[in-house]
Amino acid sequence: MDWASHYPAFVDPDASNINLGGTRKLTKDVEVVDIGCGFGGLLVGLAPLLPDTLMVGMEIRVSVLEYVRSRISALRLKQQALKKIAATSTTTQAPSDTPATPEVEDDEVGSTTTIVPGNYENITGIRANTMKFLPNFFGHHQLSKIFVCFPDPHFKARKHKARIISESLNAEYAYVLKPGGLLYTITDVEEYHHWVLRHFKYETVEGENVADEITGGIRDLWELVSDEELEADPCVRVMKFETEESKKVTRNNGNKYVAVFRRKADPEWPA
Amino acid sequence: MASFQHPIQSLELVKRQSQGLSNVLVASAGPHIYSYAAESGQRLDVWPQHVETSRAAASGPTSTSEDQAPPEKRIKLSSPETESEGKPSANNALTWTNIPMVLATSDGRHVVVLTAEDKCIRVFSLSEDGKFKELSSRNMAKKPCALDLTPDDQTILCADKFGDVYSLPLIPGEYVKPKTQAKKPKPVATTLTVHSKRNLRSLEQQHLHAERAEKAEKVQEESEEKGVLNFEHQLILGHVSMLTDVIAVSLPGAPGSRPRNYILTADRDEHIRVSRGIPQAHVIEQQCFGHTSLISKLCIPSWAPNVLISGGGDGHLLVWNWSEGQVHQSVPLGDSFQDAIISGIWDVSFDQSAGTPGSINIVLIGLEGSPQLLCYTLESDNTLKSQGVIQLSGNVLDLTTLDSNGSIVVSVDAVRAPGSTDTWKESPASAQILTECLQISITDGGLKWAVCEDSRTACINAGVTSGLSATLDAKQKKAIDDTLYNLGNLRKRTFDD
Repeated sequence: MDWASHYPAFVDPDASNINLGGTRKLTKDVEVVDIGCGFGGLLVGLAPLLPDTLMVGMEIRVSVLEYVRSRISALRLKQQALKKIAATSTTTQAPSDTPATPEVEDDEVGSTTTIVPGNYENITGIRANTMKFLPNFFGHHQLSKIFVCFPDPHFKARKHKARIISESLNAEYAYVLKPGGLLYTITDVEEYHHWVLRHFKYETVEGENVADEITGGIRDLWELVSDEELEADPCVRVMKFETEESKKVTRNNGNKYVAVFRRKADPEWPA
Repeated sequence: MASFQHPIQSLELVKRQSQGLSNVLVASAGPHIYSYAAESGQRLDVWPQHVETSRAAASGPTSTSEDQAPPEKRIKLSSPETESEGKPSANNALTWTNIPMVLATSDGRHVVVLTAEDKCIRVFSLSEDGKFKELSSRNMAKKPCALDLTPDDQTILCADKFGDVYSLPLIPGEYVKPKTQAKKPKPVATTLTVHSKRNLRSLEQQHLHAERAEKAEKVQEESEEKGVLNFEHQLILGHVSMLTDVIAVSLPGAPGSRPRNYILTADRDEHIRVSRGIPQAHVIEQQCFGHTSLISKLCIPSWAPNVLISGGGDGHLLVWNWSEGQVHQSVPLGDSFQDAIISGIWDVSFDQSAGTPGSINIVLIGLEGSPQLLCYTLESDNTLKSQGVIQLSGNVLDLTTLDSNGSIVVSVDAVRAPGSTDTWKESPASAQILTECLQISITDGGLKWAVCEDSRTACINAGVTSGLSATLDAKQKKAIDDTLYNLGNLRKRTFDD
């Protein structure tokens, strides 16, 4: 995997430091993944929040991915231009002092008028079938956050096996997430929200809650993050309000259901 | 009209010393399984015994006793009439045409087979005199691609075409169906969650459909019943790709603790996954990356449980330190086998002939549609060393050890021309070879083998299997070819990811 071309600002300056594929190594590993990143709104929203963290969006639709890539490179170019202006013009902070440009009814997130931390150099998108190939891209315990935002609901029961949350996939997410890492989910489909809880064994088929203390099975690996903690997490806010899809739901007066799970340490081997 | 015989698709030696009984060889050919005394090659039993009785009445019993009967008397299960019906519908007709998998528990008491078309896992007990008694038959919902037994012999692992691994108790207990209120399928989308006009329209359709469904509730219930398995089973792990092999293995744990169980799974997308054993199969310990094409077989040699040998369609064998996910050695199969797909990896271990210490540890590699076996020894540093190529009279289908003196019985395909998966021989040989005996020995530090005359395989060959008409049309032949040679279909035609 040639990550260097995706994150030119993070390429290891030591040119002799190359990976198996013969491409330059980075100074750090990718740590945040947006599965099914769509038009990349979440990435763009998160980029200034976590300026030193490398983030990647995975998208299976070629044309959508192309859009994401060009959107990111446009943002990067704009940032470079802004930096140049800032350097040449006197050090007055004029632009950022002006009241924030009213973000009208526009779905676009990402600033084109101010310099943001990270300059969008820390985000990228790759085309991948995540369901099949997630562990091909990331190693054991490499990631600290995985986002699954407004996944394809696959309404028909026959299509449920195509859903991006399932017990077997949760085991794979656990493999790439480090202990303490978080898996964020958000959906506007209530039934899908219950599906998520069910497949993390936080709800039974009948819709009853499963007590927190219960362990065993997939519950060995995940714990549900409390609402208070979610309140305080800026990533949740971005996920809820700043992505294209979330704005669409807001416009439509739809509901948003958030569930976040923390990866626990591997359970002890049976003694 | 002469007819072919079904070649032996799967072979397994059932070791029964622990029971104080002599070993039995179990083989599947066509729709039947057979048991033979491992010492003599004498046939002991066939299952199923009385099939298609109406047909059998006309052409004599399908009994096993008349070993020397001419092939004309055999029942042609794939005769044109049966084929033309599409599905054998007569109540006494078999619902399958072949048995691709046969395995035995380590205590030799039980045999597990898979009948193909009905996707049915069948468990038999093997009596003292080698007779089959069917204990259970469980139809899976999806096509099983590989089976294995957990180290304690109590659980069957079934890896299927949809990428899931299910665990089933070897001996099913009483099954209490989990109570599920027959929930009416209700559209879960609302006008708030769909946005496009087209989706809104289909939502309307769904509501309409739901109303109608309420009226025809009974029909609904029935159709729901169909996909539900009425026996104890558990989904323990899953790939999002067709699985090709599954192995359950146990490694010694830290001093003073229990051995650690693992499950290894391989799929069509180059993945090998190492998961913990039941009940922690959701904990993935390693992913073994290295293959560049589909993986078709995994093998953990019985004498080296920390070593995994894997192969598939990329012209290489990989030797792994699997618990670390590390490739230990990559062994190219050689130019002439570059495009072959590995159909079998067999670990064979013998006590060495008197005088020399240790034992012979051999790994044999079969290639789909090839009459050759590649022979390797696994050295003490866990690397494979090539020992050459063994030529047999027909395509190698399966093999198993016959005794501890270096005899291996290999089942070969005498129906198709050697080296071909679809060219049938002009006419059946008068005495069709089902199995050949391979004798392996060590002389002067080198490995020697010979395909030799053996009374046991001769006896097996004399006891014919069910017949296979030589006059089938191309389509019927293709269907039968595909039951034996189906790995080529797993290759991806285009590179799509």
